[in-house]
Amino acid sequence: MYDNFANPWTIRLKWAYLLTVVLALLSPVMYTVYISFNEHGFGARIYDFTFDWYRIVLGDKLLVASLEWTLYLAVTAVAITIPMALLSAKFYKRSRRKVAFVALMLSPLFVPADIMGSSLLVFFKNLAGAFTWLGETLGVGWFEGWFDLGFLTAMIGQIIYTHPYAFIVILITMSRYRGQQTEAARACGATAWQAFWQVEFPQIRVGVLSSCAFVTILSFNEAVRTGLLKGGFDTFSNVLVAQMLNIGMSGESYAMAGIMSIVSVVVIGSILVITLLRSEHLSRKARAMAEPMMSS
Amino acid sequence: MSNRSDIAVEVVDLGKKYGAVNALNAVSFSIESGQYYALLGPSGGGKTTLLRLIGGFIQPTAGQVFLHGQDVSHLPPNKRPTSMVFQSYALFPHMNVARNVAYGLKLRKVPRNEINDKVDWMLSMVGLEGYNARMPHELSGGQQQRVQLARSLVLDADILLLDEPLAALDAKLRKDMCLELKRIQEKVGITFIHVTHNQEEALTVADRIAIIADGDLIEQGSARDIYETPQKRFTAEFIGDNNLVDGIVAGASGERVTVDLDYAKVEVAAPGATAAAGDAVSFSVRSELLRVIDPAQADNGAWQAVPATYLETIYLGLTTSHLMRLPDGREIVARVMSDEPADTSLEAGQPVTVGWQTDRARLHVS
Repeated sequence: MYDNFANPWTIRLKWAYLLTVVLALLSPVMYTVYISFNEHGFGARIYDFTFDWYRIVLGDKLLVASLEWTLYLAVTAVAITIPMALLSAKFYKRSRRKVAFVALMLSPLFVPADIMGSSLLVFFKNLAGAFTWLGETLGVGWFEGWFDLGFLTAMIGQIIYTHPYAFIVILITMSRYRGQQTEAARACGATAWQAFWQVEFPQIRVGVLSSCAFVTILSFNEAVRTGLLKGGFDTFSNVLVAQMLNIGMSGESYAMAGIMSIVSVVVIGSILVITLLRSEHLSRKARAMAEPMMSS
Repeated sequence: MSNRSDIAVEVVDLGKKYGAVNALNAVSFSIESGQYYALLGPSGGGKTTLLRLIGGFIQPTAGQVFLHGQDVSHLPPNKRPTSMVFQSYALFPHMNVARNVAYGLKLRKVPRNEINDKVDWMLSMVGLEGYNARMPHELSGGQQQRVQLARSLVLDADILLLDEPLAALDAKLRKDMCLELKRIQEKVGITFIHVTHNQEEALTVADRIAIIADGDLIEQGSARDIYETPQKRFTAEFIGDNNLVDGIVAGASGERVTVDLDYAKVEVAAPGATAAAGDAVSFSVRSELLRVIDPAQADNGAWQAVPATYLETIYLGLTTSHLMRLPDGREIVARVMSDEPADTSLEAGQPVTVGWQTDRARLHVS
């Protein structure tokens, strides 16, 4: 909030600075999307608008297969990560050592992607070896191939990567929730689950849905960990990165980058808009409730 | 434990520890069915902990809770015949008034028509007919508290727990709601257990009051007994506007003891109290029972008198307080109705005699 003595130019300057930073960050992405619609690709002197590159991408079986794998990975990550993050956020609220708890939950964020990926790779290799040895020792084939690189290992890597983000997003929404409402529901006869599902969940739904969207996008954007842990299949990002490294940026590459950018911006933009609208709605509620309670 | 059917709540040696901190120390008491019972005491004294133990929101470290004779100590709140009203309203913000009130009935799978009838009836009971479609944020504090009350009462629970239900309301609304709560309790006839730190609130609503402080049940009794004849020094300090005076027992005869104050000897009524000569005791006299008197008035034994120095007069609207200092330095207050004829000759520093009717002072041995 600004006081009446603030210089209006200071405010304009702050906004100008903010917009410049955002534009600087987004302009390469916007340029990529712009190029993806040029029939002549990057560096051409003329610009003819076309959807052809997108048609080629969506007609390529390898790329469509990679999209499918990415989607499976995203859906599985959402299905497992969101309940885990929800539980973590609930445990956090009960925890007495909150700083230590948050530090523990966020620690995967502080490990660089390649270090995390290669560490998990070594870990799974050893684990697979240990399982094979266990199977051989026990004389059963049941343990064979459990942690060979593949969908399971890629998914575990994805969960470790996305859990901190989902945890934070849910926690922010949950911080507005007052535990007394759960107690009130229990006092009305609700079980712990009914109190959660009927009273708490509707109030943190926005955070949970935002986390779902966030984890989905992160699954589409992730390349390094998945690249190291995926085994025999390819995700969309892996194909894109491989293309760029091997043959450079083609019109197809720009279209793939465009698909990912547009989907990400639309999903994140929607979340932001919904969150802002919700926040405004909640603050209006809070203002109404904060008014002096007069005799009625 | 008691088997009497008219006992709604009985707690036996109930205790709660948080790590090394004793929030409640082996408290025992019982509450009759249909009684309005107040747990009164300073903040942090353990009264909310006690209420939450009765409601099943926390598990006891020691002791038992019996509701209508049944041991419920280890049952969760939804398995107990209790309902609760919270200080911070705790309405479900995503549900309108009708859905809030109907919540518990829906859980019990009561037919829809019956739910609608009960909700309407309960809203009219709390003076909110026609508010069914309002959202909680569209209600004032008092209205929200009424909705909470309706949500709890509609369940026909035998025992209603109220945790500082009026603490967030303004003074006028608090007073109105006190009377409203009392009226509703008399109408529905169930047991109310009301936690408050406000003595006026407790005196207004309660049939019986328990004083809770430092995790202990200090004293319990009817509102009148607690106010007029407090047994414990703490109660006298906490309830009413009491003057407390310390002394040594000089002798005892019948139901009276003589207390030596160094600067005067006074007789104090001590029904049931066991005090022997030489015991350090205190006695209390409510400020409205103290008067500046003529020393001769105390000659017949019906009045007790001590010397004091007049300090000042403080006008408080309905009442006026006369502040005086005893010879041992303790300040005492005599409070009179402002429209009573006053002695206008009193001046600061003037020696006066302060007196009270002998049977109006209470002896405290602890």
